[in-house]
Amino acid sequence: MNEEQSDAIELLLRRQFDGPVPDEDFSRQVMQRLPQRRRRVTWPLWSGILMGAVACWLALLSSPLLRAGWQDWVNDHWSASAVTVLLVMLGMAMLALVWGVAEAEDR
Amino acid sequence: MACVADSAAEAHIDRALVTRVLLGDDRSAFEQLLRRHQGMVRAQLRRLLHGDAAAADDLAQETFLLAWRKLDQFRGDARFSTWLYRIAYTCFLQVCRKTAMLAGDADEGEAENVPAPAHAMDLQLDLERAMRRLSAAEQAVLLHCVQMELSHEETAYVLAMPLGTVKTHAMRGKAKLKTSLAAWHEAAGKEKAS
Repeated sequence: MNEEQSDAIELLLRRQFDGPVPDEDFSRQVMQRLPQRRRRVTWPLWSGILMGAVACWLALLSSPLLRAGWQDWVNDHWSASAVTVLLVMLGMAMLALVWGVAEAEDR
Repeated sequence: MACVADSAAEAHIDRALVTRVLLGDDRSAFEQLLRRHQGMVRAQLRRLLHGDAAAADDLAQETFLLAWRKLDQFRGDARFSTWLYRIAYTCFLQVCRKTAMLAGDADEGEAENVPAPAHAMDLQLDLERAMRRLSAAEQAVLLHCVQMELSHEETAYVLAMPLGTVKTHAMRGKAKLKTSLAAWHEAAGKEKAS
């Protein structure tokens, strides 16, 4: 099929299409049937995050690795445990950064 | 160029209205969205339902109620109108599945035997009949691509079809219409010659 014939068919099809339908009270009827918007409940998410953070903190509090690492870090002594603590913190910060960038790209 | 700018401005207005609904639970913003797009959504559904205005309006209502409920899922990767057409087409497919309307291909053979047109006045009627001889997918692609003037990419989004399939359906659909309306083309050629 050449371009001229294709254009002719397209022109016929466009002519056949009636275009937008006039409102004629349609919008008012839809607005009357519109239910209340349900607000997204956010407290379960925040309480979950808080509980997770507390549980994580309690679990790590008793860990000798964390304590030793923290003390070495504060005393400027770059022991294996201090470097491990630093790497874990760096890794978590990177994860948060990647997550933030991915969320921003979706919007 | 001005058309593209207009389209971008329209999309910008839609996005602002959507933001107002989502942030402020603003029903009047949704009413504006509704008034801006109801005409084309209803026209789309009327064509898909072969002119059944009542059924099309019922589906259009359902489309806007769904859009209201799922508005937070609109992420702006397509135009708001395109997102609405997709919801409308999905509603239409659900109705088709329920009523097995797509099985209308059964009378395809009968339609093939329609006699050639005799008068130019009947061209639109013959085009309508020729359209019905196309497969449901070809009809849907031509409606969105040609009649509603969406791009191939937008049509692929609305119909949830691969881009290549959309292009193939558009080409095949037009070729079939050309064959069905060949008698008109010949008549027009003879008129020009005489």
